[in-house]
Amino acid sequence: MKTLKDSGLDFKIDKLTNSIENVQTGDSFSTEVSLLSKEDLRIISPKNSWKFNWLSEFKYPTRDVYKLTIVNNPGVIQGAVSLESRIDHVYMHLLESAPFNVGRNKVYVGVPGNLVAFACKLSFQRGGEGYVSFLSKSNLIDRYVNSLGAIHCGGQLMVINTEAALKLTNKYFQ
Amino acid sequence: MGLIKEPIDVDFVVDSRPLTKKEKLAISEFIIADKAKRKRGELQNKAKRKGKSKKQVA
Repeated sequence: MKTLKDSGLDFKIDKLTNSIENVQTGDSFSTEVSLLSKEDLRIISPKNSWKFNWLSEFKYPTRDVYKLTIVNNPGVIQGAVSLESRIDHVYMHLLESAPFNVGRNKVYVGVPGNLVAFACKLSFQRGGEGYVSFLSKSNLIDRYVNSLGAIHCGGQLMVINTEAALKLTNKYFQ
Repeated sequence: MGLIKEPIDVDFVVDSRPLTKKEKLAISEFIIADKAKRKRGELQNKAKRKGKSKKQVA
């Protein structure tokens, strides 16, 4: 059985861009976020080296699963996020970069930052005033504080407040 | 606006679990307190601006 200490989001914000950047060439590509479809689940499956079971995430009626793709290249999913709108904020259940965007040999940087900024934007749109919360891996708390402006609320809890959310959304969605 | 950079090693491990009641409550309480703090700040700034403009008029 996993301990509570081991759970929580463990994404590393490599770079915040209003697009994603090819590590090799430095070229930037505009991105878009859209709802994940049933057909997409064939792509983001453990069979294709994705770590998490997005099919089960997709089945939760209260959660929306979004994908990040490069404009004009919708067939290649760069990352995904599972979000739930709550009364006062948006809760981020899961966030994952595509297998080819993970580790030192990743193809693109900026995927997690893009998706978190999108969560903030959704929170503004749904009356959550930009507030986004998630559980962090203990060893990444400082990184989220420094890169996202998230606030550590004790334990593994992290909250992005209105001020930090505004900075993120302005950076990505101007 | 400059980019916010972090080391390039992007490992991506997500381990979602349901929040406990205590954690849900902690989030809500934090949000309420943070909103109140922000409003206080806004009111103080408003008051400061008002004070300044009054001085200028005088």
